[in-house]
Amino acid sequence: MKKSTSILEFKLFFRNRSAWIGILVLLLTGVAGLYFGKTFIANQQSVIEKAAVLQKKNTLENIRHFNKDIGLIFFHNKFSTANLPDRWAAFANGQRDVNPYLISVTMLGIEGQLYDTDITNPVSMLLGNMDLSFVYLFLFPLVIIAFTYNLISEQQESGIWSLLKSQTNALTKVIWRKFLIRIAAVFAVAFLLLTAAVIYLHLPVDSTLAAVTGLIILYLAFWFAVSIFIVSLGRSSSYNASALVAIWVAICIVIPASLNLFLTKKYGVPEALQNVINQREGYHEKWDMPKEVTMKPFFEHYPQLKKYPFPADKTFSWFWYYGMQQMGDDQAIKSRLAVARKLASRQHFTNIAALFFPTIQTQLAVNELAGSDLSAHLEFQQKVRDNHEKIRLHFYPSIFQEKDIASTDIKNVGLKKFIPTKIHNWSRLLPLLTWTLIMGTFAVRNLKCSALMRNTDTR
Amino acid sequence: MPNITLTIAKQTYKSTFGNKATLVLTILLGLSLGLATYVGWQNFKTQNNQRLYYKNMVRAQWLAKPDKHPHRMAHYGYLAFREKHELSFFDFGIESFAGVSIFLEAHKQNTVNFSEAGFSNGMLRFGEISIAMVLQLLVPLLIFFLGYNSISAERESGTLKILLCQNVSWKKLLWGKTLGIIGVVLTIFIPLILLTILLWASLSNWQISLDATLRLVILILSYSIYFFIVSALTILVSAFQRSSKTALITLLSCWIFFVILMPRIIQAIGTKIHPTPSKIEFADAISSDIQKQGDSHDPNDPHFAAIKDSLLQKYQVDDVKKLPFNYGGYIMAEGERITSGIYSDHQRQLNNTFDKQNSFTVFAGLFNPYLSLKQISMALTASDFKTYVDFQNQAEAYRYGLAQKMNKLQIDKISNHAPGEHEKPLSISKSNWAEQPDFNYKFDHLSHVLTHELLSLVALFVWFIAILFFLQYSSKWLKTI
Repeated sequence: MKKSTSILEFKLFFRNRSAWIGILVLLLTGVAGLYFGKTFIANQQSVIEKAAVLQKKNTLENIRHFNKDIGLIFFHNKFSTANLPDRWAAFANGQRDVNPYLISVTMLGIEGQLYDTDITNPVSMLLGNMDLSFVYLFLFPLVIIAFTYNLISEQQESGIWSLLKSQTNALTKVIWRKFLIRIAAVFAVAFLLLTAAVIYLHLPVDSTLAAVTGLIILYLAFWFAVSIFIVSLGRSSSYNASALVAIWVAICIVIPASLNLFLTKKYGVPEALQNVINQREGYHEKWDMPKEVTMKPFFEHYPQLKKYPFPADKTFSWFWYYGMQQMGDDQAIKSRLAVARKLASRQHFTNIAALFFPTIQTQLAVNELAGSDLSAHLEFQQKVRDNHEKIRLHFYPSIFQEKDIASTDIKNVGLKKFIPTKIHNWSRLLPLLTWTLIMGTFAVRNLKCSALMRNTDTR
Repeated sequence: MPNITLTIAKQTYKSTFGNKATLVLTILLGLSLGLATYVGWQNFKTQNNQRLYYKNMVRAQWLAKPDKHPHRMAHYGYLAFREKHELSFFDFGIESFAGVSIFLEAHKQNTVNFSEAGFSNGMLRFGEISIAMVLQLLVPLLIFFLGYNSISAERESGTLKILLCQNVSWKKLLWGKTLGIIGVVLTIFIPLILLTILLWASLSNWQISLDATLRLVILILSYSIYFFIVSALTILVSAFQRSSKTALITLLSCWIFFVILMPRIIQAIGTKIHPTPSKIEFADAISSDIQKQGDSHDPNDPHFAAIKDSLLQKYQVDDVKKLPFNYGGYIMAEGERITSGIYSDHQRQLNNTFDKQNSFTVFAGLFNPYLSLKQISMALTASDFKTYVDFQNQAEAYRYGLAQKMNKLQIDKISNHAPGEHEKPLSISKSNWAEQPDFNYKFDHLSHVLTHELLSLVALFVWFIAILFFLQYSSKWLKTI
């Protein structure tokens, strides 16, 4: 008996045209998200492969051109480091469109080169990436709203409610059955898309998959809880739809955008501009100063390089030149750290805000898992700095002694690849769980004992 | 007869404000608009002041440089900062995704760096609250909430029949309801406009230009038309749909599709169809073109060898050191001319590709008034892609001018005899530095902006005409019950 009613309810749900439209919208946008997300990352991968080839080619060309002058070769020669996309980056493109994933720098001052952007279209960045995480984050809640907003009110508006009430004394059960079918349908689509993602994006079945699955389940459950709560208030369909869409707009757009505005204002980063100026002055002013102004701090920085004789009597030497370049970086340290502190405060603020808003939390968590967030980029920048430092220290002796380029292994310095540290911040699930439980409890309690269940005549 | 229309309008207006929920919603929206205005204004001031501060610092540092070789100055270069248009507090457009500062030096074209997006940990991707965002996204939603049942409720309660029997035609009913809703919207919009004008005037230090005034006028007009389109659409949907519920659901689905889904998908398609090269490919293509034409940094380059020979012949000397001017400067000037010409060609092609990508969104404006208004709004507040490209072009022109100015100083004032390894380097007086003017970005004229946005303007206008037509003639297809 019970089983057959469930089947009937099931049939009823799927006979509804809007049910199919909702599912179709999710599937279509999900496939589009998978396709565009994968294309975006595949393009970055192919560029990284080309970069490895181009670096070799350019190095050989530089050697051919400036053969006699080792200092000049290193003045021109670029060394690239690539931020390899995690497979999950195709699922959540995150900030990988904004931040460069391939940074090529010469041995000159790093602070003057590190922040160069890639070739990007700001309009595309403004409108945002079309990846699968967008579908989960923004569209699934809307479909959940569409599936549930009239669940009770429709019965009331069509007069079935009183009929139902007179025929069964387990009204809550009837309503729950309806909800469960919708929950099952939405989760089925969610898992279908996730499975498609695992296959299409070659995602490894590991703890990241578990974390993302957990996030999605909790996030969708949160929206179901919100929807059921509003619906359980027993208002009209129109009221429910308006209220739910208003909540969606508030949680998914207005509140995060307002918080971002506040964040931008409170933690502005003028230090970044100051940093450029510091680096530029720190280097250029040395041309007009006695050489010891450069070389004294330089040897303090690198005592191990003192053993190479510095040609103080020469008007120009590469030794002095690279020393001056180093001064640019050294004089920018303060402002660089100031920028880093600002960005850390931003991250801190966002993490706190995310505690209260599941959409922000889910997005941060997914981007973090995919290694496509700002902290992954900052880690990448640090890696570029480290590589740069290594290359400097490796080639300084040859340059300072004006050795023949053939005696160095410059040809063997290939493209360096960087893989961000995998972060599994399971604690991000906790606030999501809390909110889902809070909303869920309210919703269930409301459904069970609200006036709605006792009084037929709510309208 | 328009009296009836007006009566209906007044009635709609009153009953809207009589409804507590809508009153609260309207006040909330009004407040968020006030907030957006204030914050936008504050943001503009702090950011522009920061940029001005650094701009002045860069200028002062440039002028304070001691006597030196002009080519050192060419390498010292200049830092240019992208100024904001005083109307950009209204619409942030691509501002946060576009770089702020660019380093301009000899031989090399750099990128515009330090966009707000680069400092964002993802919060920015939810959108930005600006006056334009509230007006484009949230006001339509408010209009939908206010108006979705304006006719369907009459139908459901049976008053529609009575109304239509009492000398009220469909046309008058539609117009009346539309005007009523617009009245509500204007109650929020008009004070906002006054506030905007006030703030804008204060941002321009009370010295308002004709160009900016016209920009604002067209901006206000465009938004008014947009609100009219949305209001009339709401009324029409309410009239065509059987029930209030289906009317509301239709309107909300349209909002989601046109505002949330369509812009992303269209732009993603544009980007997919017209891919842009990566930076390394772009740089590689430029350098291979330079090698074809002549590379001044390559001592064996045939182009520069030919120049050398012709100079030697012209001045009847056997060594470039005997030329009556600085040969190095001459060669660098020629190298700069070739490389920047090639660079500009490639940059122009790249910008064409970007334009092609964006043209999908522009074209989609024909089907989506939100997108066409967005383009118009960004263009008028100079927070659009074209202004950004324009900034890059002006910065590059300045860079080229600076490099060539320094080359010219070298050719004219630096001896052709290079000093020895242990001698003092050659230099010229620091008084020459002031000859290089400061970088000042000039915003495009309104006429150019309008020509460029023609398609979007036409799209909005076509929507306007189509809606007018529907309000006038749709009664033929409308059902009373």
